Amino acid sequence: MRNYLDDQPINLAGSTPRRPLLMALTLCVLALMLFFADSLGFMTPVRGPLEWALRPVAQQLTSWRNGVLTVTTTITSVPQIRAENEALKRRISQLEDELIAREQALAENTRLRQQLGIEEEHPWRLLGAEVAIRFPDAGRRVILIARGHKAGIEPGMAVISQTDSGPTALVGIVEEVGLYMASVLLITDFGSQVSARVLHERETALGILQGQWQRGSRLRLEQVERGITPRVGDTVVSAGLTRELQLSLPLGSVPGGIPIGTVEAVRSDGYALVAELQPFIDSEQLTYVWVILGQKN
Amino acid sequence: MGNTRSKKLEEYLVRETTLILSMVALGLVQLSLLPTPLGSPPALLLVLVVCRVLLGIGSGTIFADSGIEGAARWAFYGGLILDIGSATPLGSHALALLGAVIVVAVGTARLRVDGPFLPLLSVLVGSLVYEVVLTILVYNQFITLDEWYMYGINIIFPSVLLTLIPALPLFFLLRWMFRVP
Repeated sequence: MRNYLDDQPINLAGSTPRRPLLMALTLCVLALMLFFADSLGFMTPVRGPLEWALRPVAQQLTSWRNGVLTVTTTITSVPQIRAENEALKRRISQLEDELIAREQALAENTRLRQQLGIEEEHPWRLLGAEVAIRFPDAGRRVILIARGHKAGIEPGMAVISQTDSGPTALVGIVEEVGLYMASVLLITDFGSQVSARVLHERETALGILQGQWQRGSRLRLEQVERGITPRVGDTVVSAGLTRELQLSLPLGSVPGGIPIGTVEAVRSDGYALVAELQPFIDSEQLTYVWVILGQKN
Repeated sequence: MGNTRSKKLEEYLVRETTLILSMVALGLVQLSLLPTPLGSPPALLLVLVVCRVLLGIGSGTIFADSGIEGAARWAFYGGLILDIGSATPLGSHALALLGAVIVVAVGTARLRVDGPFLPLLSVLVGSLVYEVVLTILVYNQFITLDEWYMYGINIIFPSVLLTLIPALPLFFLLRWMFRVP
C-alpha cells in the first residue's frame, strides 16, 4: 500500500520541473468546472449513482460510530450518573421526610377533629397524647404516654380513647406522672378498680370494675347490686363514685358516664352478681389517647 | 518500447485506483467515523494533504518535488468524495483542499521541517484557507464584514482548533509511513 501511495514520479510523457504546479492548477480548474457544472445541474446523473453507492457504507460506519459513542458515553458518564443517583437519593429522602411530616399533620388533624367531637359531646377538657411505650412490663397492663406534669396531667385522671366504629371509652387511669411522661394503668389490669354502672333498660346498678388480664380474662364487674339483673349486651359506664367508695387508689378524677364495655356473661356470687365484660377499646390497638383534665365547668 | 509504456500505464492506473480507494476510505472515515465534539468532525483529509505537502518539502524549490503533486491528487480525489458524501456541489471541497495545498506549498517551500511548529502552523494556515474557500463556495450567504466576523468566531475558529488536534500525530505517522528522514 505504501508503495502505491508513495507517489514517485512516473514519467509518462516527459515530466518538467513545473509539472506539480501545472498539475495542481489543472486540478483546480477541473474542480472549478465540476463545481459550476454541478451547480448548474449537469452532474446530477453522475452524482446520483455515486451517492447511492456510498450511502450504505457511510450509514454502516455511522452506525458503528454511534455504537462506540454510546458505549463511551456510558462509560465516561458513570461518575455523573453516580452523582445524579446520590442527588436523587437525597431528594427522595427529603421528599419522604416531607411526606412523613404531612402524614403526621394529617393524623394530628384527624385526632384534633376527634377530640373536638368528643369535647362537643361531653363536658370534658381533654389533652391528647401519643402512646409512647406499650406494656413495658409483661406482668402489668401499663402504657406510657408522651405527656406529663408539664402538660397538666395528674395521677388519677381518666384516660379515654376512641375507635373508628366504637364509642369514646375509658381505657385506663393515670398512675404515675413524670415531667414529660405519664404511666397509665389500663382498666384491664388486675390492679385497676373503678366504680361502674350497668345500664339496663331504664334502670342502673352499681358495681366495681376490676381488671382481669392477669387472670386470663379482661374485665369483670363485681358486687353488682341485686336490684336489677344485667343481661348480655348491656352497656357499662363509669359511675364517678370512686372517691365515695374510698378505694385505696388515687382514682378520684374519673368522671361518670364514660363508656367502658358491654356485658358478656352474668353469674351470681352470693348476694351480689358478677358480670364479665367486653371492653369497647382493645388495649392492644392503642396508639393515641386523651386524658380528661377536668370538667368544663 | 510499447510494452514498457504499457507497463508504466498499467502501474499508473493501479496506483491511481489505490489512491482513489484510499481517499474513499479516508473520506468515509471523516464523514462517518470521526467524533464530532464541536458539531463537526476534524478535517482529516485536510490534515493529510497538508502533511503530504510538508513531507515533500526540503528541495529548496517550489513545486520541485513529488510531495505537492501527490498532495494535489489526494486533495482532488478526497475533496470529490467529501462532496459526494456531504451533498455539497462537486468540486467545492476539492477546491478548498487544493487551495490549502497550494498556499501551504508556497509558504513552506524554502523551509525545513525540524520540529512540531511548522506542521502545526501549516495545518492552521491550510485550515483557514480551507474554511474560507468552502464558506465562499458553499455557504456564500455571508456578505457583510460583520457576518464574516460572526461566522469566523462561531464556525471557522472552532473548526480550525479541532483540526489542529490530529495534526501532529498524523504528520509523524505519515513521516514514518513514507520513511521521510
